[in-house]
Amino acid sequence: MKRFVCFLLITLWLVPVVCAGAETAVIFQEANTSYRTGDHAKAAELYESLIEREPRVATFYYDLANAYVRLGKLSRAILNYEKALRLDPRNGDIRENLRYTRGLLEYRVEDTRNWYLKATEVVLKYATEREVYAVLLAVLFIFLAGGIFYFLNGRGVFWNPWQQFIFIVLLLAALVAFGKEVQSNVIRDAIVMQKECEARYGPSEHDQVAFRMGEGIKVFVMDRREDWSRVLLTNGESGWVKDSDIAEVKG
Amino acid sequence: MRKILLTAIVMGCVFAPSLQAEDVRVSASLNKRLAQVGEEVRLSIRVTGQSMNLQAPRLSQLDGFETYYTGRASHISVVNGVSSANVEFSYTLIPRRTGRFTLNPIEVQVGQNILKTEPLEIEVSGGAQGQMSGPQSMPQRVATQPSRPSPVAQPVSQDQSSAVPPGTDDNIFVQAWVDRTTLYQNEQMLLTYSLYTRYDTRYEGFDKEPETSGFWIEEFPMDRDVPRETVRMNGKRYVKADVKKLALFPTAPGNYTIQPGSLKVSIREEQQGSNAFDEFFSDSFFTGGAFFARRQNRLLTPPPIQLVVKPLPEKGKPASFQGAVGSFRLSATIDKDKVKQNEPVTLKMVIEGEGNIETITRPKVPALTGFKTYDADTNSKLFQTENVIGGTKSFEVVFIPKEEGNSFVPPLEFSFFDPRQEKYVTLKTPNFPIQVEHSDQNFQMPQELAGNAIFQKQVKSEGKDIRYIDEKLPKAFSTHAVDLIYTILLWGDLVLFVLLVVFWMKDRQDRLFSKDQALRRRKTARRTASINMNKLKKLARSSDDKDTTVFFADLEKAMIQYIADKWNLSAYGVTRQDLAETLTTHFGADSALLKDVLALYRLCDEFRFGKGSIPQASKKIGLKIFQDAVNRIERIRQ
Repeated sequence: MKRFVCFLLITLWLVPVVCAGAETAVIFQEANTSYRTGDHAKAAELYESLIEREPRVATFYYDLANAYVRLGKLSRAILNYEKALRLDPRNGDIRENLRYTRGLLEYRVEDTRNWYLKATEVVLKYATEREVYAVLLAVLFIFLAGGIFYFLNGRGVFWNPWQQFIFIVLLLAALVAFGKEVQSNVIRDAIVMQKECEARYGPSEHDQVAFRMGEGIKVFVMDRREDWSRVLLTNGESGWVKDSDIAEVKG
Repeated sequence: MRKILLTAIVMGCVFAPSLQAEDVRVSASLNKRLAQVGEEVRLSIRVTGQSMNLQAPRLSQLDGFETYYTGRASHISVVNGVSSANVEFSYTLIPRRTGRFTLNPIEVQVGQNILKTEPLEIEVSGGAQGQMSGPQSMPQRVATQPSRPSPVAQPVSQDQSSAVPPGTDDNIFVQAWVDRTTLYQNEQMLLTYSLYTRYDTRYEGFDKEPETSGFWIEEFPMDRDVPRETVRMNGKRYVKADVKKLALFPTAPGNYTIQPGSLKVSIREEQQGSNAFDEFFSDSFFTGGAFFARRQNRLLTPPPIQLVVKPLPEKGKPASFQGAVGSFRLSATIDKDKVKQNEPVTLKMVIEGEGNIETITRPKVPALTGFKTYDADTNSKLFQTENVIGGTKSFEVVFIPKEEGNSFVPPLEFSFFDPRQEKYVTLKTPNFPIQVEHSDQNFQMPQELAGNAIFQKQVKSEGKDIRYIDEKLPKAFSTHAVDLIYTILLWGDLVLFVLLVVFWMKDRQDRLFSKDQALRRRKTARRTASINMNKLKKLARSSDDKDTTVFFADLEKAMIQYIADKWNLSAYGVTRQDLAETLTTHFGADSALLKDVLALYRLCDEFRFGKGSIPQASKKIGLKIFQDAVNRIERIRQ
């Protein structure tokens, strides 16, 4: 009787999971077929529905971005490439297509940041937040386990060279994790979605236009004020744009 | 007595810009390590690496040795698509003194890098210095390069010379002159240094190297017996000798100024008068025969030289022209004229003549449909005759016929500009007929030529587009693996952290208790009382007489132990009187606590002496008194 109840519970839990997975696979195949046959609009629609179901799968964002490139919607394509890159940062195809798509844009922003900022960005973008935090936790685990071993062993010195080394590694891992946290959640990157976007000196239509930029340009959101966001470009220019003109990558 | 002489050797090499220093190895060797004074020793400097163009390096003067440049040999081979070059520069050293000499690492400049050879040692024993047998045709005396740090340190000089400012003595001077002041790009020009002297003079080499940037330089051999002649200038008789000759090849058109540098000579201090002419270029000039004589050093600086380098004419420039200037001959042979399909035929071309042979590149091979074509070996050999630099360079090209039948190894064109005739000359290899027999063997690249095809197409991008979509659904585990690891580590860290805190607190408490037993008993009194209370409760539930007896005995013990623990009294020797006094001291004689404790003792006594007359309810009363007493004391103590 007990076995039967267990079997029933497991079945009840597994059936929806398996069914959902099978349904996802069917939609994915259909989307791929649409893309292959040139029906990119339908493919994009299907990939969008897959993202609603599984928002943490980089492949869906990448394929959706490809469909948008084919449809000429470059800003949406870049936004989805960026999202895919957040989930799968070491994927060469995503990087290459993102680079290619940026080359199709009307506007280009020169990156005048210091070399160490660029290098830090490149290094931190090589791993996901979870991966960075997992490394930090792994080092912390080793450090704590070393402490417990000391108490269980009952001999030796707690602050021995090994613990000191692990502690230094822990500090470095914490530093990297802090940088990743800042990159992911403090410096929020966004993509300009409008064909032509005006950045102003203040958060209103009355303020003077500071500069104009086109779709697909990557900006960093520094501040929010009602329906306006203050954005910073990689060339150092900053201005206020309407929230509706941009879309945050993490959003 | 052991003498160590450190002599300076510096090599200057000019490499092709693309040359990578890390691909080049430099080594030096002597054909013998033991030699006698006056005996020839061969020094070889070998440069190996990827295909490269090198100028003959110049060694600085070695004190205690005469040095002669005797030529170069180079070999370029291409194996598995990688070309390798081996250039060997040969020098003859003739020791003039006995002793052990160490030639420090020879520096070779490769592009922007300096490579060094291993240090070399040579021991020179005594010999018939006056009867030395030097090379009969000493090709070249090596120039000094004092602008570079000397790799060979010199011991204390036995030469008591002192420098004399140049230009103050018209009895000795030097003229640097060129055989032409207008020439074509890559055409040879001869730079000659003529020494005029009225003293017993010894030429010591360059004190300051000539500035010849923009020129490819080859040094000329200089006979050991330098031709000398007596000339009359400004009413004075001089002995004149051409002490140095350089062949310069301008690499680009334009106006140039050559700074000839400074020559260092030494003269004997004694005035020799007209007899000096007879001693000029005697042993003392090169052989060091007057090495121990008192001498003076002189620096002689000739004036700069202006040159005009003309560009090569565009008119009539053949398509096959690749920059060769001079006068050349071309010959070619093939190794076989009857082959099977897919069997290689090697065409060997030899270009021979006067000009900068090292810069000659392989004639272009036309694109062929019926052949696969591969590069093979390249060899070159340089020679200097009179006032002209020349040499031979051979190239091997492998043709592999793809189709059977009669065919031809096509002629290859080599063009050069002849500056004497001022026109371009084109030479062709013969049209070699070959007979190709049928073979069923499929084409297979010869292993030594793999990847070395001349006409392999370069892979290049035809256009740009996005990469294709990813059609593989990622596995659920791979998607969530990091999340899973993260979660496990997070909970693991939490557990470890809690455990660590617990271990730390326990460790701290143990340390405290080990120092203060009274504190340990006081802190653990309540816990001990609780344990006893639980035991008593179990006993209280039993109606067995034996258990009842044990109950009251344990109840009294528990009460005594608790109070003894609290006030650090001995749990074994303590009496009721001691406990009563302790409680009276801390709570007063009229305290309810004292009364309760005494009541508990009475209850225990009543059972002990009444033997079973105590009802079951008394156990609960006893337990309650014990519990209340503990709680009251704990509250008060806090």
